[in-house]
Amino acid sequence: MQRAIIEPNPTPPADSKAASPSKPGSLLQHPNSVAAEVRNLRKIYNVGSPQAHEALKDVNLSIRANEFFTLLGPSGCGKTTLLRILGGFEMLTSGTCRIFGEDVSRLPPEARPVNTVFQQYALFPHMTVRRNIAFGLEMLGKPKAEVERTVERMLDLVHMREYADRRPDTMSGGQRQRVALARALAPQPKLLLLDEPLSALDLKLRQKMRLELKSLQRETGITFIFVTHDQEEALAMSDRVAVISNGHLQQVGTPEDIYEQPQSRFVADFIGESNLIEAKVADSAGSEAAFDIEGFGQVQAPIGQRVEVGQQVWLSIRPERLVLGAVHREGPQATVTDRTYLGNAVEYHLRAGKHALTARSPRGGLRGRQDFAPGDAVSLGFEPGSIKVLLS
Amino acid sequence: MIERRFQLRWPLGASGSLLMLWALPVILLLAYVLPFAGVTLWSVTRPEPGFENYVRIVTGADFQAIFVRTAWVCLLSTAITIPIAYLLAYYWVMGSARRSRLIEICIFIPFWISVLVRAFGWVVILRNNGLASDVAAAFGLNGLSTGRNVWSVITGMVHFMVPFAILPMASVMRKIDSRVLLAALGLGCRPLGVFWRVYLPMSLPGVFSALAMTFIFSLGFFVTPMILGGGRVVLTAESVFVQMFQTANWGLGAALGVVLLVVVFAILWLSQRVMRIEQLMSR
Amino acid sequence: MFGRSRLGGFFAGLAGLFLLLPLVAVIPFSFTPKRFLSMPDGEYSLRHYLAIFDPDTWLASIGTSTLVAILSSVIATALAAAFSIGIWLRRPASGRFLIGLVLLPIIVPPVTSAVALYFLLAQIGLLDTIPGLVLSHVVMIVPFSVIAILGALSRLDRNLELAARNLGASQLQSIFRVILPNIRFGLFAAWFVSLVMSWEESSVTLFVSGVNVITLPKRIWDNLRLDLDPAVAAISVIMIVATTLVILLRKSET
Repeated sequence: MQRAIIEPNPTPPADSKAASPSKPGSLLQHPNSVAAEVRNLRKIYNVGSPQAHEALKDVNLSIRANEFFTLLGPSGCGKTTLLRILGGFEMLTSGTCRIFGEDVSRLPPEARPVNTVFQQYALFPHMTVRRNIAFGLEMLGKPKAEVERTVERMLDLVHMREYADRRPDTMSGGQRQRVALARALAPQPKLLLLDEPLSALDLKLRQKMRLELKSLQRETGITFIFVTHDQEEALAMSDRVAVISNGHLQQVGTPEDIYEQPQSRFVADFIGESNLIEAKVADSAGSEAAFDIEGFGQVQAPIGQRVEVGQQVWLSIRPERLVLGAVHREGPQATVTDRTYLGNAVEYHLRAGKHALTARSPRGGLRGRQDFAPGDAVSLGFEPGSIKVLLS
Repeated sequence: MIERRFQLRWPLGASGSLLMLWALPVILLLAYVLPFAGVTLWSVTRPEPGFENYVRIVTGADFQAIFVRTAWVCLLSTAITIPIAYLLAYYWVMGSARRSRLIEICIFIPFWISVLVRAFGWVVILRNNGLASDVAAAFGLNGLSTGRNVWSVITGMVHFMVPFAILPMASVMRKIDSRVLLAALGLGCRPLGVFWRVYLPMSLPGVFSALAMTFIFSLGFFVTPMILGGGRVVLTAESVFVQMFQTANWGLGAALGVVLLVVVFAILWLSQRVMRIEQLMSR
Repeated sequence: MFGRSRLGGFFAGLAGLFLLLPLVAVIPFSFTPKRFLSMPDGEYSLRHYLAIFDPDTWLASIGTSTLVAILSSVIATALAAAFSIGIWLRRPASGRFLIGLVLLPIIVPPVTSAVALYFLLAQIGLLDTIPGLVLSHVVMIVPFSVIAILGALSRLDRNLELAARNLGASQLQSIFRVILPNIRFGLFAAWFVSLVMSWEESSVTLFVSGVNVITLPKRIWDNLRLDLDPAVAAISVIMIVATTLVILLRKSET
């Protein structure tokens, strides 16, 4: 089940030279090739001790070149561990980890063509901005003139020229963030890892930096692997998102896929909000099935997989796709228990039999929709295709 | 292939940091722990094989007298040190900025000055015909015994240990949240009550570590007692020196050193037990 | 604030005076014009300060102490830095045990340490030599350096090292270009503390040297044991003044 969700298994290129044909200096790299790939990856901390903890359980994933790829999940789900394994800060327990075709499982961090933007930036406090950015280039043994040229270019790229000779501890969070980006981009890595880089910033700045990061990725053409627990951030910036929970890869797909076609209860619940309702298959015919919901009635929904009559499943409906109406016809009904005004929308808390549901309509009462008060009885309508059937 | 970067590497590859880590422990094992094993060997082989030395230490009336004297001199000086140190630590941490600065200077000047110089200062004050007897004479207290006796030794030891005892207490006191004290005041507790019922219990862990440290320190040093006692108030640590260099009885000196070490470790072990119990009870 | 009673403040003041008393008491004695230790009555002299410059006795001992203190503090700081950084980088399972081992010389009674070091130097024939004394001092002062450096490292962001490695620095490069520069104040403190500790070391020094190699504490000790030379008072005053100046200067800086 898990494996089926994941990937159309891209075979790794047999010839590792073919995987990285570009010169180190060129910015646009390998369209359509695989930037990073992990196979059967497991990570167990404290192997053999009573505190042994399996952080990653058989993860398979491949990330394309030039992609803005996000690892999304709640804290402690293993996303940071995966990032640290890619960066070489953590050794994997079993499986393989390839970067542009080369197996890097045993390489120390300094031998990998990967740079990282750390959570609290980890800027060198004893160096100026300029020296921070130059560090990676100097470690590569680049000639002095080239180092200087690249540093200048990076300063312009992140708009930090006027701060070039200041030290990190005199700067704001957003400025440090830019310096950290410039420092990580200067050696022109093939892969940029970002470990929750926006979490230390306040809301407004975070939203601004989202746009900057996205355009930076487009400008440089470097593959970004971004770790976050903030689903909004993930949906706003990514080309593709991998949802991780409890060491398992739950689903990989575009933000639309993940939001519109969740494949498990976890994803439906973690990304945005969902009403999750337990149901039984009453009848199935081809691509459609009917489901019995206790104390509620029957609903129809399209199905992606085969289901057996009598099988227990979960139905997921987004609150904004639950349409409330006056009680005038047959069908599922509910009682409003609470109404919350949210500014751009109104949220209704409903009770239908033993189920608690949430519905959200944009500015209740407007756009032809009725407004309701607590205690009102309402009929429930579902927009076509809004019910997702989840087997796990 | 990924380009290999220019690298300055360990001469021994990845084991470089292992070498770095182990250099000091290995040196200490060879130059400190191993010789200590040799000392233990001395204690059972000199002057002849057997436990003669330990038997003498345990049963000899002279050594028993030394041990008893050591125990009460150390207990007494610890008992005097702790309240003085507590008082200073308290005003260092809680006092007004000016007083706090003055106390800090009073603590750290002696702290950094050689134990010999400090003992010498007390010799000047306490010896016969010294400052103290002059002052006493001025008050008509002629014939007050000063000079080389137990009280001089205790004075010198207390003076040596107070700055050391202040540090653990002050570090615990610094962590006490002053809002807790305000809360107690707000609940109607009188200031002195806040001290006895809130502040003192909260600072006790610091007092315990200062207690253990002071007592252990006092057992082990011999410079101050030798100068201020002048050979008349021989404590255990001093008797090691005497056995080694004055009576050239190396085996006996070594055995005394071993006994001292065992006692110190026993006290450490005990004080850790006590602190753990104390932590359990405070929960 | 609560509980700043006048009585308590008064006793704290007395306790502070008690700590300074013996240091102040020696000052007048250093100016006595007499040959023996006495309170000068009306007449003052600097003759005992001049005696310090006798190249055969006091000056020689000051030189010996300085040499031993510089050598052993530099060696101790280097070893302590290597050890502490090793612990910080590798976080070995045996870390607690290793730190315990290294801190042993602080916990073990100084006499016992002195007997052990005496045994060692007797075995390898370094009793009463400069190298032997330096070795003994390194053992005794290295725990203080380790404490200072481990303290500095515990305040260092672990990600700094990862960032350096990530940018292509080898472990050795990250140590020299990132870790060491960021703990430089801790290193200096470690070196300074061990310098002072070695300069003042008396308990082990009395066991392992004394005839050919005479440090300043050893010479003061001999003078205190045999006759009370006022030169001890002069030396003491110089040390007290120097210490006070350093402490006051450091205070005014911060």
